[in-house]
Amino acid sequence: MVDQAKLREVAREVISREDVRLLIGYRPGTYGFRARPAFVESAEQVEELVFTPACVSNLASYLVLEEKPPLPRGAEPDNRKVAVMVKGCDSRALVQQMVEKAYERDHLVVLGIPCSGVVDMARVEARFPGVLSAGSIIREGDDFVLSFDGKTEKVPAAELLADKCKRCRYPTPLVSDIMLDDEVERFAEDDFSDIAELEGKSVEEKWAYWAEKFSRCIRCYSCRNVCPMCYCEDCILDRLKPVWMRRSVDISENTAFHISRAYHLAGRCIQCGECARVCPVDIPLMELNRKFYKDVEELYDYEPGLSTEATPLLSTFSVEDREDFIL
Amino acid sequence: MNARPKIGVYICHCGINIAATVDVEEVVRFASTLPDVVVARNYSYMCSDPGQALITEDIQNMGLNRVVVASCSPRMHEPTFRKTLMSVGLNPYFLEMANIREQCSWVHEDRIAATEKAKRLVESAVVKVRRLEPLEVKEVEVEPSCLIIGAGIAGIQAALDIADAGFKVYLVEKTPSVGGHMAQLDKTFPTLDCSACILTPKMVDVANHPNIELLTYSQVEEISGYVGNFDVKVRKKSRFVDVSKCTGCGACAEACRQAGRIPSEFDEGLGMRSCIYLPFPQAVPAKYTIDKETCLFLTRGKCGDSPKCVEACEAGAIDFEMKDEMLEFKVGTIIVATGFDVFDARNKPEYGYGTYPEVVTALEFERLVSASGPYGGKVVIPQRGKKKKKKEGEEEEAPRVPKNITFIQCVGSRDKSVGNEYCSRVCCMYTAKQAHLAKDKIPDAEITIFYMDVRAFGKGYEEFYDRVRREGIRYIRGNPSEIFRRGDKLVVRAEDTLTATPMEHETDMVVLSVGLMPRSDRREIIDLLKLSSSPDQFYLEAHPKLRPVDTATDGIFLAGACQGPKDIPDAVGQAKGAASAAMILMASGKVKVEAQTSVVDEATCRGCGFCVEICPYSAIELVEVNRMGWPVKVARVNEALCKGCGACAAACLSGSIQQRSFRDLQILPQIEVLGVSD
Repeated sequence: MVDQAKLREVAREVISREDVRLLIGYRPGTYGFRARPAFVESAEQVEELVFTPACVSNLASYLVLEEKPPLPRGAEPDNRKVAVMVKGCDSRALVQQMVEKAYERDHLVVLGIPCSGVVDMARVEARFPGVLSAGSIIREGDDFVLSFDGKTEKVPAAELLADKCKRCRYPTPLVSDIMLDDEVERFAEDDFSDIAELEGKSVEEKWAYWAEKFSRCIRCYSCRNVCPMCYCEDCILDRLKPVWMRRSVDISENTAFHISRAYHLAGRCIQCGECARVCPVDIPLMELNRKFYKDVEELYDYEPGLSTEATPLLSTFSVEDREDFIL
Repeated sequence: MNARPKIGVYICHCGINIAATVDVEEVVRFASTLPDVVVARNYSYMCSDPGQALITEDIQNMGLNRVVVASCSPRMHEPTFRKTLMSVGLNPYFLEMANIREQCSWVHEDRIAATEKAKRLVESAVVKVRRLEPLEVKEVEVEPSCLIIGAGIAGIQAALDIADAGFKVYLVEKTPSVGGHMAQLDKTFPTLDCSACILTPKMVDVANHPNIELLTYSQVEEISGYVGNFDVKVRKKSRFVDVSKCTGCGACAEACRQAGRIPSEFDEGLGMRSCIYLPFPQAVPAKYTIDKETCLFLTRGKCGDSPKCVEACEAGAIDFEMKDEMLEFKVGTIIVATGFDVFDARNKPEYGYGTYPEVVTALEFERLVSASGPYGGKVVIPQRGKKKKKKEGEEEEAPRVPKNITFIQCVGSRDKSVGNEYCSRVCCMYTAKQAHLAKDKIPDAEITIFYMDVRAFGKGYEEFYDRVRREGIRYIRGNPSEIFRRGDKLVVRAEDTLTATPMEHETDMVVLSVGLMPRSDRREIIDLLKLSSSPDQFYLEAHPKLRPVDTATDGIFLAGACQGPKDIPDAVGQAKGAASAAMILMASGKVKVEAQTSVVDEATCRGCGFCVEICPYSAIELVEVNRMGWPVKVARVNEALCKGCGACAAACLSGSIQQRSFRDLQILPQIEVLGVSD
């Protein structure tokens, strides 16, 4: 696990640099156990930085969502670098954002965190009710060690790991300037067995399945807002001319919303799983995204977010492309 | 233009093409009820003069400001009706066509359902035409010069025609000499003209023409711009010989330490050359070139005590320090005439090419039978891999003269097993010609041709084929399955499919009539010009029948076998066609560019560059703009390059690209009309 002292030392050095404006990392949440994003602008603030198995969120989203308020005439834009802490999965979002020219590589200082997995909060809460509001967690070897109510509990990591970590292909960041720990070897393989059941369904069964899931959607747009690949200046879902999707919460509009989002992520989703994690009504959005991901990989031998040299999948065409699936 | 739309709807019968399946009267009744439709009429042929007059009169008398024509595909008559609108002062882009022929009457039988569909199509055109905006057709100037890539017979002919018409031509050839494959041929079918005799005068002409800048041993590296205004970068490769000094005397080649050791490309490897060489005696320009792949001095930095060629060259033309030169120029038009490769016979291993020296390809046979070839025009079994010069005292083994020669047609053509489904179009005739030449050189030789079908389709071809057959050449219909050795003979195993008899045919020599292939380096040109390929991998023309020399990109044309297998008359004909197409642009000096182009909303564009990647015409680039004080990259469309294909608009995730006349707000109401079922 990342040495917290080293983490802060590196962060202090980085934020002290003249060419760095902001460092995005993690700090403990209000009650300790959970972690939340930290926006560090000066060396004094680095003491609050942590990295624990509770650091689930993907900080790459903040790079592209940061608001740029209009500058007064004559003012120079602050174009200094932004430093960001990323796990292996999160780093792919940086790669894909760069493939899509969201910013240049030298805009970033990447603090890479080789990661052996984060926890699934629902599993933690189910196993140790109440711990989320009054405990802490660290990784020790193959176990998670939780401290709460003055006692400690050792749990085999596999029992609390988030599903995405159990099939993580890229635990060590694919892009980084400073690696905060030793590289983590790939410890899992992704065979997409989790979506086998979905794939086995008939068209009617799939429709019924998703109709039930989408009927729950309250259109809070959390999935869109948290997604590191959803960062248009002006989302088409918000447009009034034309209205692509009405705001009404009903099965028709909800379905249109989720299908549009899934299509916009085809060949772009980097599997961080944030959309499903933040969904307040537990729509298994990653099943949809992973089916697309699998299809893209099988049809075009393409995995997004691996190389900044790649061209975006859906803007390339080759006469050798498969077309046997076209009706 | 904010006046309330006044729409006229015109339904065409197209004789009975539409009227037989669609109740046009009913469609007219329906159209008159649609909002803002002032008048709806039908006529037997809307495209005819009286048909168009209906429209112009209504525009003038009723003050129409929008027109819907329901007839055939807009590919046919959209330009016609746009002109109709323009003739009475209405913007031509206030026209919308409903295709009720190709997309309705021709594909349906049920009259009632077809009529309903026609109504829908008309209604969708009406809801769209209300929302159309006037567009301006812009013109760009055309630079009066042409780049021709490839100086085979097609490139040469196109260059001469254009230069004779008074336009500047840059003729770029990759190899050291112009001439291409035609220069390698001995005689040409069906007239038996000597190939070199008819080609070399044209080769000399391109070299001397005041309007032609001949760039041999050169390669196009970069092309940007658009019709009328292409910027070209050409790499003139170093010959290591100063062409202004070289007299072409050949002393250097004789002196070369590797003389007679390097396989000659021109002789298909049957003859040998030196490292410093002239590809063939009539080469243009008649200047020597050092092959840097094999030259000892250039590969190892040492050639004996000093390079012998330098010693031998009295003109002092050799310069090992010579560097590649980059040329940049502007042209208005481009003709691609890059030609073909011949099929590699090793991909049909059952015929033993490469294993048995007696098996040769037709192009090799062409060099054998040529008087300027490595065997002085004698038809012999080539001594492959053996040095021609023997050491002193050794007996010179004379090459064997075959008494029995077998030709096999369709090697690498019409053969799905090697991926070439197409007919190469020249093999039937060149095989007949080669059989005739072989018979001419060895009158007592037995000559057999195995064929699938004989396609003698050109002028004088059938007559020539008939003549050859009557010379005692035996045609056997059957595709041989294998060739193997028996004693000093080769055995061709085949089935005579006319008599359904399996047979074994003994022979001394086999000539494989190899087909024509797309060039192995064709991707270079595709990448340079973004050309498309047809399924056979030859370059794709804009329309197989009506635009056979055009490409999808304005100002770029195709000539010769790069577009598909062609014989010499066809290649020359197409070259003249391409030249004429290029000259139309250059002579008029101006070209209209597409008006229905894409536009970017720079306020919402996020600069991801998907559109830049996907644009087949390189019409979009990312530029930096100031967005409320912040520098951001956004896409920008070069309207002179944009063809209005809409690929960018479809790819844009943020919906920031719209195509004029196909804006979301224009086509969504259309989709709504077409999509709602009742």
